[in-house]
Amino acid sequence: MKYIRIDKAQWAQGLAAAEKAYRLFGPVREGAMLNFAALAPGQAPDLDGLNTRMSARSVVYPQSEILFEYTVDPNDPDGNVLKEAPAPAKPAAAVGIRPCDAYSFLLVRRNFDAPDVKDVYWLRNYEATTFIGLACDHPGSTCFCTSAGCGPYSEQGLDVLLQDAGDAYLAKILTDKGAAFLAAAGWFTEAPADSEGCFSAGKEAAEAKITSTVETDRLAEIPQMALYDANFWEDIAFSCINCGTCTYLCPTCWCFDIQDEVRGKHGIRERNWDSCMFPLFTLHGSGHNPRGQKVQRVRQRFMHKLKYYVDKYGDGIQCVGCGRCIQYCPVNIDIRKVCQLMNRFGQDAACKVA
Amino acid sequence: MGVEPGRVHFSWISSAESTKFVDVVKKVTEAVRAVGPNQKFVKKELKVA
Amino acid sequence: MIAYTDKIRDIARRLLKDCRVETVIGFRNGSMPMMNEPCFIKNVDDVDHLIWDGNCGINLANYLTNRTDKIAVVAKGCDSRNIVTHIIENKIKREQLVIIGVPCKGMLDKRRIKAMAPGEVTRVVEDGESVRVCGAGFEKTYPRKDMLQANCAVCIHRNPVIYDELVADPVPEQQNVDRYEDVRAIEAMSAEEKWTYFENLLAPCIRCYACRNACPLCYCPTCFVDESTPQWVGKSQNPVDVRTFHFLRAYHCAGRCTDCGSCERACPMGINMRVFTKKLEKEAFEQWGWEAGLSLDQRPPLDTYRPDDPQDFMK
Repeated sequence: MKYIRIDKAQWAQGLAAAEKAYRLFGPVREGAMLNFAALAPGQAPDLDGLNTRMSARSVVYPQSEILFEYTVDPNDPDGNVLKEAPAPAKPAAAVGIRPCDAYSFLLVRRNFDAPDVKDVYWLRNYEATTFIGLACDHPGSTCFCTSAGCGPYSEQGLDVLLQDAGDAYLAKILTDKGAAFLAAAGWFTEAPADSEGCFSAGKEAAEAKITSTVETDRLAEIPQMALYDANFWEDIAFSCINCGTCTYLCPTCWCFDIQDEVRGKHGIRERNWDSCMFPLFTLHGSGHNPRGQKVQRVRQRFMHKLKYYVDKYGDGIQCVGCGRCIQYCPVNIDIRKVCQLMNRFGQDAACKVA
Repeated sequence: MGVEPGRVHFSWISSAESTKFVDVVKKVTEAVRAVGPNQKFVKKELKVA
Repeated sequence: MIAYTDKIRDIARRLLKDCRVETVIGFRNGSMPMMNEPCFIKNVDDVDHLIWDGNCGINLANYLTNRTDKIAVVAKGCDSRNIVTHIIENKIKREQLVIIGVPCKGMLDKRRIKAMAPGEVTRVVEDGESVRVCGAGFEKTYPRKDMLQANCAVCIHRNPVIYDELVADPVPEQQNVDRYEDVRAIEAMSAEEKWTYFENLLAPCIRCYACRNACPLCYCPTCFVDESTPQWVGKSQNPVDVRTFHFLRAYHCAGRCTDCGSCERACPMGINMRVFTKKLEKEAFEQWGWEAGLSLDQRPPLDTYRPDDPQDFMK
């Protein structure tokens, strides 16, 4: 494995060089909040905060994305022709993405890059993006990544992993894409020989700081219908106000809605994030709504992440443990508690949330 | 909310006050024309990239 | 606060034991600092889950809409005003409710406390008139009155206006409060400045609708933004659609809003959308002398006609 040392004095200069070849994204301070967004020319990513409010999902999968435009004007030379949104001219780089967010793309990829169906827009954006991760030396109190398949030094889904080493970043090159980005930034200084040790020591220290966990070991073996009919859903769902906070802040939620917006003879088709928390999400054209009640929608969200996904792909839960839904749920519905209830279903004599 | 003054008008007009109706419509159209086309609540034409 | 909690539990226990209600709606301990979770209690044995402190900012009137059972509900001043509004608007019947009134000392502003802290806040302890904020490597104490939600700081109805039980003696109402300083600042702006101000205010909105859904007034079976035949509002992040949602929602709350602050408290992006509803609240007060939810016997100004209704804006 190759390690590069990036002096922080060369950081801005390198990003400026990389900007010529890449569209840069990173954590950006917007008022009191840190968000993952496109960096303005010359803007440095803010790497001091905990994780960003919104995940890095929008780098690959924007909240609103125009797919194509069309006109039905017969006098227009492009009349009745579908004009697809062109691919961005430059590849993208997500600088300072946290390992949990990077890992989330691997979970989401199962949906957008299935053997039989490919989502061209998602894949195009994903493949054009280089992920320059920053290891989490100071994980938060609601981070439970280590029990959700990744961790503060997880390399899954990353092309480069950076470690903050005081006056420099140590960069562990994980893929050729990562090497190409570092080359474009002009960062070539070989790191000292003990870099590997720095990473493993950092990993150990960071993982030790993670105090929050989820239990998932029994989720696969409990029958779906038993969980579906479990007695705790009403209690969990009561406080839910059915807003989209959890689903929109979640890096692993992938649902969308396709909309046409038409003006005169010209129109576009776009896709927007959607949320299983909204009644409209499942409303049929007939007027029937199979998930018309709040408790059904809340159950769907947790069953999808913690049971259906587990059963379908056999590789853990659809959650990376970033803790955003716990931090920002307006009524404090906590996925760790729900996961515990589900995992211990049939074991605990009393199934109470509180 | 930042809508230009002169774009919104309110009037009481009885169904018997035809001349007042004409007057008000004239005044309103003049006032709104002076303000110009409404840009703020109209989406710009959407295009790919 | 502990006294409040004990009293709430006592009352809830008695009401459930005597079968006066089927359900008690209140708060239980949250898993996060400055967060409590609305909950329902049906069983006498579970009554001790109920708690009260400065983190009960969610408006529980929201959980009463269209219920058909007999319910006891814990209500601070603003909740009680929204319960009145719910009764007036036929969303619940007075006979169904046993209102456990809580004289309120204001709710903590979790957003501000988090923003002021030098690191992640892991524990917040209320101790009489002060608040202790703790996290990794820091511990700070602030006067409680400086840490209140913006709406609580200017609240003049802290005591429940309607109740069947009261958990403590009424608290003194705040006097000489300037309720509309922020609204006046916006009123003083030019049309162009206002537009820019609101544009920036709404820029972070992700349309999760937490503000709408946390609001007890927003109980429409289908909200106008969710209508699909016809569809009135686009679904994208286009600012025109975002703005339409916020402006129209605010208008739907005109003469009904009690400034409970649930919308702002719920917003994951920290948007101060109360400036919209407060402006309308101010108009209702100045034009009709109306404050929502103070009486079961008065109809709201927007569904009554009086010959002396102000009409200076009419030409």
